[in-house]
Amino acid sequence: MAPLPFNNQIKTLRFLKGEMTQADLGDRVGVTRQTIAAIEQGKYSPSLEVAFRIARVFGKPLEDVFHWADE
Amino acid sequence: MSFREKIHWVALTGLVIGFGWYFLSYPWAIANTRAGMMASVWMLIPATILFLIPMILGTVWFAIRTPKEAHLKEDEREKLIHLKGTHAAYYPLVLGTWANVFALINGLRYGWSVNILMATLVVAELIRVGAQLYYYRRGY
Repeated sequence: MAPLPFNNQIKTLRFLKGEMTQADLGDRVGVTRQTIAAIEQGKYSPSLEVAFRIARVFGKPLEDVFHWADE
Repeated sequence: MSFREKIHWVALTGLVIGFGWYFLSYPWAIANTRAGMMASVWMLIPATILFLIPMILGTVWFAIRTPKEAHLKEDEREKLIHLKGTHAAYYPLVLGTWANVFALINGLRYGWSVNILMATLVVAELIRVGAQLYYYRRGY
């Protein structure tokens, strides 16, 4: 599978948010723990809705969570 | 590994056991006779049971072990994986249907016809489940 053209800071943001687990984040976003793990590892490109939901959990704008790889 | 991925592994195992037994035990020498067709029909009963037993036991086992995951709805990634797997299974279905048409034109009937259709369904199901497991492992 081709690597995704963007990176994410989810792992760092989870750590900063009281070491939130992937399962907790998944519960709050409405996806499985495995899907959060896949997003973190760049194995799955989430929908815009899920991307926004993740950003909202961390109280950050979308660009602070996901950013284009060459930026 | 998610609950659905585990269930897919169970389904794959059930398919291999149930229909592996069926195709290996089938009396191919009488396939082109009415008796061959009836053999197919009767052998499908134990083959289906062999397929269903691991499915039921596996689903119950994993549902008891991880009840929370068992009750979760498919999320968007799982839906995509599901669709990709179903899409991949379409091709063997088309090929199998054509194979059956050619077999009928060339005088292969009764048990052959049933078995080609069965093989088509089994291969399509193997590809569907296999593709989904591939996407679960490799990511999508």
